[in-house]
Amino acid sequence: MRGFTLAAILFRPLCKGISPSKLTGRLPRNTRGYAVIPPPKNSKEKALLDAMLRVDHAGEYGANRIYAGQMAVLGRSQSGPLIQHMWDQEKEHLKKFNEILAENRVRPTALLPFWNIAGFMLGASTALLGKAGAMACTVAVEESISEHYNSQIRALMELDPERYRELLQIIKQFRDEEMEHHDTGLDQEAESLPGYQILKTAIQVGCKAAIYVSERI
Amino acid sequence: MAALLRGLQVGRVLRSLGSVAVQRAASPQCSSVRRGFHRAALLRVHDDSKNPSSTHHEHYQAHSSAQDTSADEGTSTSTHEASAGGTATGQEDPQVNTSYQDQSGEQNEDYETEEQLAERILTAALDFVPQYGWTVESLAAGAETLGLSSASTGMFNNGAGDLVLHFVGHCNAQLTEILAEQHKQIQLGQAEPKKTAEFLRDAVETRLRMLIPYIDIWPQAMSILILPHNIPHSLKHLSTLMDDMWYYAGDRSTDMNWYTKRAALTGIYNTTELVMLQDTSPDWQDSWTFLDNRIQDVVNMAGTAKQVQSTGEALAQGLMGAAVTLKNMTGLNQRR
Repeated sequence: MRGFTLAAILFRPLCKGISPSKLTGRLPRNTRGYAVIPPPKNSKEKALLDAMLRVDHAGEYGANRIYAGQMAVLGRSQSGPLIQHMWDQEKEHLKKFNEILAENRVRPTALLPFWNIAGFMLGASTALLGKAGAMACTVAVEESISEHYNSQIRALMELDPERYRELLQIIKQFRDEEMEHHDTGLDQEAESLPGYQILKTAIQVGCKAAIYVSERI
Repeated sequence: MAALLRGLQVGRVLRSLGSVAVQRAASPQCSSVRRGFHRAALLRVHDDSKNPSSTHHEHYQAHSSAQDTSADEGTSTSTHEASAGGTATGQEDPQVNTSYQDQSGEQNEDYETEEQLAERILTAALDFVPQYGWTVESLAAGAETLGLSSASTGMFNNGAGDLVLHFVGHCNAQLTEILAEQHKQIQLGQAEPKKTAEFLRDAVETRLRMLIPYIDIWPQAMSILILPHNIPHSLKHLSTLMDDMWYYAGDRSTDMNWYTKRAALTGIYNTTELVMLQDTSPDWQDSWTFLDNRIQDVVNMAGTAKQVQSTGEALAQGLMGAAVTLKNMTGLNQRR
């Protein structure tokens, strides 16, 4: 019975969520000769930036799939519009990284099909634990992602803050939005889930591994 | 200066004390103490040269206790030795440092010119490849045209491999220039944009035509390229070539298409290359026909894949509709 409902919801065409209440302003574009990433100085810088953008793209892709999995289960429950709003923001992030990757000829990670399935499974399985489960998953994932963005911001600031101004701006904005999702998850009583710490730790270890692998493959 | 000599003397005395202790206690600690003292002495040398008057007092005060304890051990001979050795190290150390810096600087410059020289020799050697093949002899002949000894081929660790890889990289760079030029003209509106399939066909043909001057000996080069130690480099060149072609063909995919597209083009390129080796038709017409057909195959396959996908989507939608209908009929479709 449950599976039946699931399949039906799974293929439901995506309805537009509620209008995003706290969407920050649009990013300025093409203020300089290049859009986001300056032309690389040497192969080392190119490799470094490629790895960064590749893993960010993979992360946003995975996050999208997680929200897709959550929506497939909780789409028509009370928390549907909230999840939809967070998903819409993630879609914007993914779109931005798609643009940046294409523009700078960065190879996407070869593990995308795997993240596709793994992300959806993670989202759907935690959502099956109920609203608190989905929110705990959101908290764990978003915390890992914002930590990851923070470490990238640190690395870029160390290298040359002026040179990577646009990229830093984008990453900072995305980091703030991920933190917003994290706080939303906590507001929605993510911590009330039994075994919250165990689930969170397990998901975060998975996220760390995914980041490590996506930077390289 | 007197203070300096004094300090060094104390240093020598302390060191002799230390060496006595080495035999008893653990050696690493003592040696680190000794090293530390050396460093301190060197620092003092610098300080002394800056402002002798103030350091004199500090120096004297700092080491007066040490002097007291070792006063009975210090003899006139040890003083002379210490002062001689101490001043020698004091003078030598800066010299050593500067000479090291100079050497490394020179090495850097040498390295740069060596790379450029290697490039020039490899480019000159390409003229001799039809005559001598992909061999070290070609390299030697190329070096001789630049007025260099044929022994300079010793700088190429990989010999013939370096020559072939240089040629491949050179051709790829040439193709990229051509494609970039075409791209610019299209952007300026001076040329009509081509269809993707046509563009790729022309790009592959342009690149393969670069092999024609060397076609008789190209099998030899191919066998060199697939030697185990050359594989990483030749794969790198191949993937760069495919990426360049797709980029200028307007591909901006960031999903698995990125991989399938490049894999398909690699297959087309390599098979056409093989066909070309055995082609005896005028102006390699058979090869280009083969290329056309393979490109068409991929276009057809992509079309089929798209059809299958849309069929699958339609089927899924139909199933979903049926499921919803069933649920409505059984009364299960209640909002949670």
